[in-house]
Amino acid sequence: MARVTRRELMNLLGALGVVATFAGLVLGLPAIDRALPAERPVRADEPYPVGAGVTVIPPVGSTLDVTGTRPGDSAGTALFHLGAVQYKIAVRPYDGDLGSAGQRLRKRITDTPGYQVTGPQLQVDTAGGLIGLQGGYTAPGRGGRYAVFVSDGLTIEVTISGADLDLGRTLPQIEASTRTLRTDGRAP
Amino acid sequence: MTAADVRPAPGGARVSALARVPAFWVIAALLLAGAIRMAQIAGRLASAYPIATAAAVLLFALLAVPFWLVVAELDFLEREPIELLVLALAWGGLVATSVSIPASTALEDIVAKLGSPHFAADWGAALGAPSVEETAKTLGVVAIVLIARSQVNSVLDGVVYGAMVGLGFQIVEDVVFAVGAVALAGQGDQVQPVIATFLLRGFLSGVWSHTLFGALAGAGIGYLVVRRDRRPAHRVGAAVLAFLGAWASHVLWNSPLLGDGLGNGALALLGVLLLKGLPPLLLILLLVRRAHDREADYYVRRLGTLRDPEVITDDELTVLRSGSARAAARRYAGERAGRAGRRAVRRLQSAQARVAVELSRDAVPGYDDIREQRKALRELGHPEAITGPRSWRHTASTVVTTAVAIAVLWVALSALGGA
Repeated sequence: MARVTRRELMNLLGALGVVATFAGLVLGLPAIDRALPAERPVRADEPYPVGAGVTVIPPVGSTLDVTGTRPGDSAGTALFHLGAVQYKIAVRPYDGDLGSAGQRLRKRITDTPGYQVTGPQLQVDTAGGLIGLQGGYTAPGRGGRYAVFVSDGLTIEVTISGADLDLGRTLPQIEASTRTLRTDGRAP
Repeated sequence: MTAADVRPAPGGARVSALARVPAFWVIAALLLAGAIRMAQIAGRLASAYPIATAAAVLLFALLAVPFWLVVAELDFLEREPIELLVLALAWGGLVATSVSIPASTALEDIVAKLGSPHFAADWGAALGAPSVEETAKTLGVVAIVLIARSQVNSVLDGVVYGAMVGLGFQIVEDVVFAVGAVALAGQGDQVQPVIATFLLRGFLSGVWSHTLFGALAGAGIGYLVVRRDRRPAHRVGAAVLAFLGAWASHVLWNSPLLGDGLGNGALALLGVLLLKGLPPLLLILLLVRRAHDREADYYVRRLGTLRDPEVITDDELTVLRSGSARAAARRYAGERAGRAGRRAVRRLQSAQARVAVELSRDAVPGYDDIREQRKALRELGHPEAITGPRSWRHTASTVVTTAVAIAVLWVALSALGGA
């Protein structure tokens, strides 16, 4: 059997050092991420700034997931959890009309393997006067609702997802929250 | 300059020779894992948006060509083996990218959890991506050192391998971003978001991107490996400093500083791009030029010891040490002796570079190629590969190229909302 030289051993150790650093990046960082709590309490009696001047009053009993929340001056996202149900709001600059914004969101949903929209889109409005479209979709093991609004050069996309049973229980609170969406950065 | 600046490399680096090094198999396994991961991602993108994915791959592959040519010209005198250059490119495109996707996301989430969503929105991308990506890319140069240490024989070699790792990363990341923009647009398999991403990431931020950051970090690894005349602490310090320089340049580029801009319009946007991108670009180009000149001095001095004008004249020695002078000599030959003259000068310069490298290895050089090209040049009436006076045609070509570049930049800035 060939003898391993000291040079070869050092070479192999160097390569394993590279692998260890990679393991630290690929496994270590996500492990630290998972070990830290992502949810923060959020007040359900004051508007939460989603981004670009868009605000929403979170549902009672919901928590904010900081990993899906990125407020900004020209765009932003907010992710709330209500039990096992996810309630996400995304605001982006947009120069199209409401119909094309609805089509765009439906297309993105159906582009995800296993996701299908259910039924036609219906009109929805908010207390602040925003007019939007809403619909439903199904995915393997879960269902969902979506809504989209266009105002002031922005599109506001709302997606709600969870198991059917959880959705049925929490949808009224979430829809009540969606109706508090405003684009002027002020409380309703 | 001392001989410690350059350590002559043995010839070539065939895969069969590399395979005898234990690290090769570990690196090969990482490359295979990265290739599988990126193939999965590419398969998903191509099945959802086949036209957009093909367009993105084509556009960004074309963008890689000028980068490759610049790096190849930088490496003119002592060319790196193609196997190692491809390995560096593959590391950047397959390994560094597949590691960076989950790790950068995790680090950005950690920033949000330890700070706040507001802080993460402002600084998450500035802190997360550079920390992970610069580490993953620098490890590519370390991998090259592990499997072919003798091929990293000057600081410039570190620059070349670092730039190649960065180029591979940049191209694959841009393709993923471009198809991601298509998905976000929600308009189906459209090419328009790909073109917008190409203008933004290819033209506006392509120059001061991963290729440049990789070159800086690679220079540090090159210094660490080559300058064995210096104390280990000094060499390690220089390598760490180069890595931090690459990291800081990347942080500055991703940072929200000047996020509000200098006002509205294309000029204001251009101002922000220049303020954030130009200082690192100039600093790194200065360092790369210094590394190039030191290597060129070393090899040209070897040729100078021959004192044989049939092999290389005094004026050709001056020309050979500078990339722009080499190009000018080829251009001048083209003006005086047509395409054949240009080709003969290019071949003469390559043959002279090969002799210089063989002399540095204490090998007996072969002069046949040089004699053949010299003979061809004499027959064409242009016996010496020297630079000529600056021609009006070259000046006009430079002006037109600059004008076209500015026009393309302006269109890109305007199309992306700058005007």
